[in-house]
Amino acid sequence: MGEVKKFPYAEEVKLPPEMEGWEEMYPPHRLFSKDREDWEKRHFWYQDKIHDPEALYPLDDIFNEAWQISLSQYNTRVFCIPPAQGVQQRMLGCYMYISAVEPPPQEIIKEKAEIFGKRLPYVLQNYNMLWDKWIEKFKALGKEMQNLKIPEELVKYVPDEDIFPVIKGYTQAYEVISTFNTLVNQVFLAWQYHFEYLNLAYLAYLTFVDTARKLFPGIKESTVMGMVAGIDAAMFRPEQELCRLSRLAIAQPSVRDILKKNISAEEKIKELKSIEAGRAWLDEIEKIKDPWFYVSCGSGWFYHEGSWVTKMDVPFSYIKGYIERLEKGETIERSLDEITKKREKVVEEYKKLIKVEDDRKSFEDAYNAVRTIYQFTENHIFWVENWLHTIWFEKVRKFGNLLVKSNTLKKTDDIFLFNRFEVPILLEDMVSSWAVGVNAPPRSKYWMEKAEKREKILNAAREWVPIPGLGIPPKEVSEPFTVMLWGITSEKVEEWLKGADLSAKEIKGFASSAGVAEGPARVIKFSKDIVEVKPGEILVCPSTNPSWAPVFTQIKAAVTDIGGLTCHASIVSREYGLPSVTGTGVATSMIKTGDILKVDGTSGVVTIIKRAEA
Amino acid sequence: MARKWIYWLNEVGQEHNDIVGKKCANLGELTKAGFHVPPGYALSVEAYNRFMNETDATKHILKYLENFKADPNDLADTLKYEKASQDIREIVESIKMPSDMEGTVRSYYENLCKIAGRKDIYVATRSAGPASHPGQYETYLNVSGADDVVFNVIRVWSSTFNARSLIARARLNLPLHYDPIGVAVLTMVDSKAAGVMFTLNPVNGDVSKVAIEGSFGFGEAVVSGNVTPDTYLVDKVTMIIEEKVISDKGSEFVYNPKTKEMEYIELPSDKKKVQCLEDREVIELAKLAKMVEEHFGCPQDVEWAISKSLPFPENIFLVQARPETVWGKKRGESVLGKKTGLEMLFEKALTPTKIR
Repeated sequence: MGEVKKFPYAEEVKLPPEMEGWEEMYPPHRLFSKDREDWEKRHFWYQDKIHDPEALYPLDDIFNEAWQISLSQYNTRVFCIPPAQGVQQRMLGCYMYISAVEPPPQEIIKEKAEIFGKRLPYVLQNYNMLWDKWIEKFKALGKEMQNLKIPEELVKYVPDEDIFPVIKGYTQAYEVISTFNTLVNQVFLAWQYHFEYLNLAYLAYLTFVDTARKLFPGIKESTVMGMVAGIDAAMFRPEQELCRLSRLAIAQPSVRDILKKNISAEEKIKELKSIEAGRAWLDEIEKIKDPWFYVSCGSGWFYHEGSWVTKMDVPFSYIKGYIERLEKGETIERSLDEITKKREKVVEEYKKLIKVEDDRKSFEDAYNAVRTIYQFTENHIFWVENWLHTIWFEKVRKFGNLLVKSNTLKKTDDIFLFNRFEVPILLEDMVSSWAVGVNAPPRSKYWMEKAEKREKILNAAREWVPIPGLGIPPKEVSEPFTVMLWGITSEKVEEWLKGADLSAKEIKGFASSAGVAEGPARVIKFSKDIVEVKPGEILVCPSTNPSWAPVFTQIKAAVTDIGGLTCHASIVSREYGLPSVTGTGVATSMIKTGDILKVDGTSGVVTIIKRAEA
Repeated sequence: MARKWIYWLNEVGQEHNDIVGKKCANLGELTKAGFHVPPGYALSVEAYNRFMNETDATKHILKYLENFKADPNDLADTLKYEKASQDIREIVESIKMPSDMEGTVRSYYENLCKIAGRKDIYVATRSAGPASHPGQYETYLNVSGADDVVFNVIRVWSSTFNARSLIARARLNLPLHYDPIGVAVLTMVDSKAAGVMFTLNPVNGDVSKVAIEGSFGFGEAVVSGNVTPDTYLVDKVTMIIEEKVISDKGSEFVYNPKTKEMEYIELPSDKKKVQCLEDREVIELAKLAKMVEEHFGCPQDVEWAISKSLPFPENIFLVQARPETVWGKKRGESVLGKKTGLEMLFEKALTPTKIR
């Protein structure tokens, strides 16, 4: 093995001077520090490119804070996966680094094993009932969040109905402060629920991969994944609604013609409203909008991504694409039954290859366990990252509006430049100045300058390329997410250590969906640009998002920087039979739009055949 | 009435193993099961017996052996065996087949020509022992014309007296003068490419894969290890070609009509590293491999050849199938240790994943 190579420690990383002051954007416990130096240096940290590929806006960090607690506690305190501890986070230069905490002492592992032994079987045996309870409480939580009232503006005088016949006793000043706290609490609660069965599902998946590998040593992980997660279940229903709306439009030539125009969604809606059939069609959207259009245009993790309901251009462009395909006589719907049957057939055939009766039983058992609980990973994403986050962003923006109206901030979205502990200060400043009387100023200048400075720091951070790892890579990992979701393997770490050769013609990644395709590249760095993709192109992006599913009917292949075999791009590519190579780390920096690529999803290699004309 | 000693391939099956030898029995089984096997016929071990006993062959051999003494475990005596082999083979090959046998062998050959619609077609005369001795006996390719067929059948019989076989029998204390085998007379496939496939990955025993090795020309090149073949790994369920190694195949094994010999001809440099099979042929072969395995009920080692002159998929022929022996023996042992899903989950939860 020789000497163990290491990455620099956090303190050794040099940041560009334009980023000075970045630390104040994030709460102190989220930073690397002298006082925890020994502990921090004992661990290997890697940049979480899956969730935070971009420089992180302080308020968007709330989801990370919430998942650090939630993911970790299900390993350590709830289901007690014996040697697994949590995943800890630190911010460095506006990017988030994470690390699986080293295993606990032996006696703790023993204690945990006993608890784990009681709790795991219970979940597997009762999963269906548990899921029903989960979805019920989750929907209730979202509804509560939707019902939070945030005023358009602070009233000049409290209205009469708050006085007569019984005095209400508190005002908007208290309501604003309290509602924001409630909103934050609700997001934390949603994220507590987010991991309820996720850790066990990942563990069951990893067990099944091991089982399949013991029986079929050369089986591709993408094949195993195909047996477990055949479909992009989280997005199934929203997509179905788009298909239904497209079919309705086709039946009404006047509606269809408007939807096919090359104008903005806003203009289309205006034109539709002017005709009877158009109004009827828009009513159909209204009926299903909540929840099925509460779909993030990105991953759901960043305020700037927007959702279908706030960026109607996105679903409208999908609908236009579907209409055009329907006119060509193509089928646009995916048959869930067919996909499920296909998956079952694959599993059956592998089972038939196992000639030892006992082994077949064990395989079946491991498969049933993973299929039972894996549904959770397929279903929670829509409800948490899409539906509930859409509501969260909508509510936060109402506070942003209020801060703009009170002259505390310049723009609504500037609220995202303040972390969740700072926003209450801004709000208190605002309501204090309202309470103390006419013309009493909040510290507008201070907040506005801060916002401006932070925007500059984040711009500088976007220019800076964060290093992938910090410290010494570990020998082994027992934390299921680290292995499965982030795909931390020796090869990956080795590649990071080598650094990427940006002039190379070949890029390696996970062979996540088999097949070979050639075509021009379309590099999409920001999710808002997804509408630029043209039929026949190869999509190259940092990672794909659930709401992009309709794009997969247009493209020839997909290549991503981030993500393993379980990432969205892999699942959807397999479903549509497109080759895909994921987790290349460097595709978006090496490939330019227009380059001619060969994507070999069987071997995991992307070749740049011809560079685009400059 | 004499016992039957010659059969069309579709008249025999696995149950005829001891009568016609393994190769013929398996080929017959494949033929009967509807696989695309080149037409052919089998001379049973009874034919060998008749030849050896109805002619002077056995008598002459026994006489020769009276004065032969050698120690099969002494390396220095190898030369003695080689000399004996040469002498005995000369004896055997100088003897004529009983005339009724010769007439039958000829008429079966003429029938093969009729099936092919051509005169003097090329056939292979291959040995078929009731027990498997891979590579021990000899095979003659591109035999054409009834005279040559008759002669080469005798040559295959006489190959039971090659030095290897003599030493092998001596070591086992078996009679040296007698080792009945069957002979297969098979229509040659004018192969553009040929090779071997296993219904599992021979590297790791993965039964969900078909491993195909192939090269240009006749399959002997691959079987003998004289060229580095292309290798393909196909998943049996998804039918995806998961691995493909295109090698520098160097030369191809072909028939030289001038010298009437098989020979290795160096491939043109632009062809050496060209994939020897089309992808659709690879997938078709994998499908056939699966079907053969299903038919025989255990992992198989299958030889195949692809004809130059026929269209896909009729161009694909199976020329041999036998049980795979290395991994096949391990079957029946549990690899998961009778564990339940829950037990495996526990085990996984307790075992960290090595990453360095």
